[in-house]
Amino acid sequence: MKAIGKIDWAFSAGRIPFKNNGEEPEFISHDKIAVLNTSEENAIVELLIFYEDQKPVGTYEILVRAKRLRKIRFNDLIAPEAVQLERNYSCLIQTNVPVVIQFSRMNTGANSNAEMSTIAFPVEPEK
Amino acid sequence: MREEEWKNWSGSLSFKPGAILTPESEEEIVQLVKRARREKRKLRVVGVGHSSSPLVKTDDILLSLKHFKGVEAPDLEKNRATVLAGMTVKEAGKDLYRYGLAMHNTGDVDVQTIAGAIGTGTHGTGRELRNLSSMLVGVRMITGTGEIIDTNIEEDEELFRALRVAMGTCGIFIKMRLQLQPFFRLTRKEWCVPLDKCLGNLEELQERNRNFDFYWYPRSDMAKIRVMNKEGEKMPEIPYGKLTFKKEGDSHKVLPRSRHLKFDEMEYALPAKNGPECFLEVRREIKQKWRKGVAWRVLYRTIKADDAFLSSMYGRDSVTISLHHNAGLPFWEYFKAIEPIFRRYGGRPHWGKKHRLKAAELKELFPCWDDFQKYRERFDPDKVFLSPYMEELLIPEE
Repeated sequence: MKAIGKIDWAFSAGRIPFKNNGEEPEFISHDKIAVLNTSEENAIVELLIFYEDQKPVGTYEILVRAKRLRKIRFNDLIAPEAVQLERNYSCLIQTNVPVVIQFSRMNTGANSNAEMSTIAFPVEPEK
Repeated sequence: MREEEWKNWSGSLSFKPGAILTPESEEEIVQLVKRARREKRKLRVVGVGHSSSPLVKTDDILLSLKHFKGVEAPDLEKNRATVLAGMTVKEAGKDLYRYGLAMHNTGDVDVQTIAGAIGTGTHGTGRELRNLSSMLVGVRMITGTGEIIDTNIEEDEELFRALRVAMGTCGIFIKMRLQLQPFFRLTRKEWCVPLDKCLGNLEELQERNRNFDFYWYPRSDMAKIRVMNKEGEKMPEIPYGKLTFKKEGDSHKVLPRSRHLKFDEMEYALPAKNGPECFLEVRREIKQKWRKGVAWRVLYRTIKADDAFLSSMYGRDSVTISLHHNAGLPFWEYFKAIEPIFRRYGGRPHWGKKHRLKAAELKELFPCWDDFQKYRERFDPDKVFLSPYMEELLIPEE
């Protein structure tokens, strides 16, 4: 199957909400990316987290199998260290094969759930 | 003799000993101890530095027994063998297997020395399984006066209640005779489950499996159930969970789990009946106040009572609950906030992990505290093995 997407991605408005309402884990507020790997090869996804006031932390390495999708919650990342909740961060995502990446956030901190989703920024290769 | 900074496994403990010595013979150690005693110096023995409490911290002599390796005198009738004090749990497991023997249990981590694991009451999980210290049935050690003592549990049973968890304060173990088992194979399975299902089935999971523990993940409120049984024995069905891992093999290969990530840890052992309630309070506290920065799991294990004077499981079947945090990140505020909960439920700290208790508080937690001290004073009358931290730990202020 044809590999579609890009090998470099980024998003800048990361911030995992701290407050939650409802049953867990279904209603835990979170930031998440969905990675689609249409290629014939496993994708090694490497995340580098940027903060406002310290040097970047990473890389967080995650496998997305060939011709599969995988959802990655930033709340669950612990290696090399946990991503702090309620703190601004940005993320650079690099992979070995082209993938498609969508970013989403669920915030259950208020009485009704709020969800948002956007395509992450696909980085064009230098010419 | 070298002067250099020493760091423990997680990196949270570092100090500059006066000297790090690596003797190659028993006689060399005897002379070192006698000289230290004569010159009123302190001497602590270090293993691989996996512990994160300052048991080995000293600005004086730090002694490594890394040259003391090997397994001797295997006895397949009594299932015993002698392990030299520089052997790690991993090395011993591998070597004992060659003789058809195995340790009854180990923890997830097998990089520690056996001597360190025994000396601190380190344990694995399993309601019917005692800690690693309980394996000690014989010892060849050098006391604080430089005397060599070679004895076994048949000669003096009470002595071993002191020696089994002694943190190197009664003598330097050179060789340890261990009560083992014929080698056996294990099946390990792990499932990811909702926490309420894990807690709802806790009693049955503990009762029906040789080894059972669970991790709780603060950021998802999910649990990972981990079960091991001897090969051929019934493994549980967990219809409410997703199987995430399976392994079969010799016990020394299946008991440990590879750990590439370093962490700091606080662990308390509680009376088993208090385990679930204490866990729920710890969980509540973490969810309300700490999971903004804490994502590492909390580990819940069971362990059988024993009679070693300073064992955290002395006289009571126990549950241990441990907190983990990434090595290198600030952990004390988190650990300090949870420690009072452990204490309210009757907790005793793991000697080799982070805690803040000193002798006056510890004395109240161990009913045979004074019995231990009699042996310690007998074997080390001049406190050669008591560094300032060890004094804080074992000698209450007047």
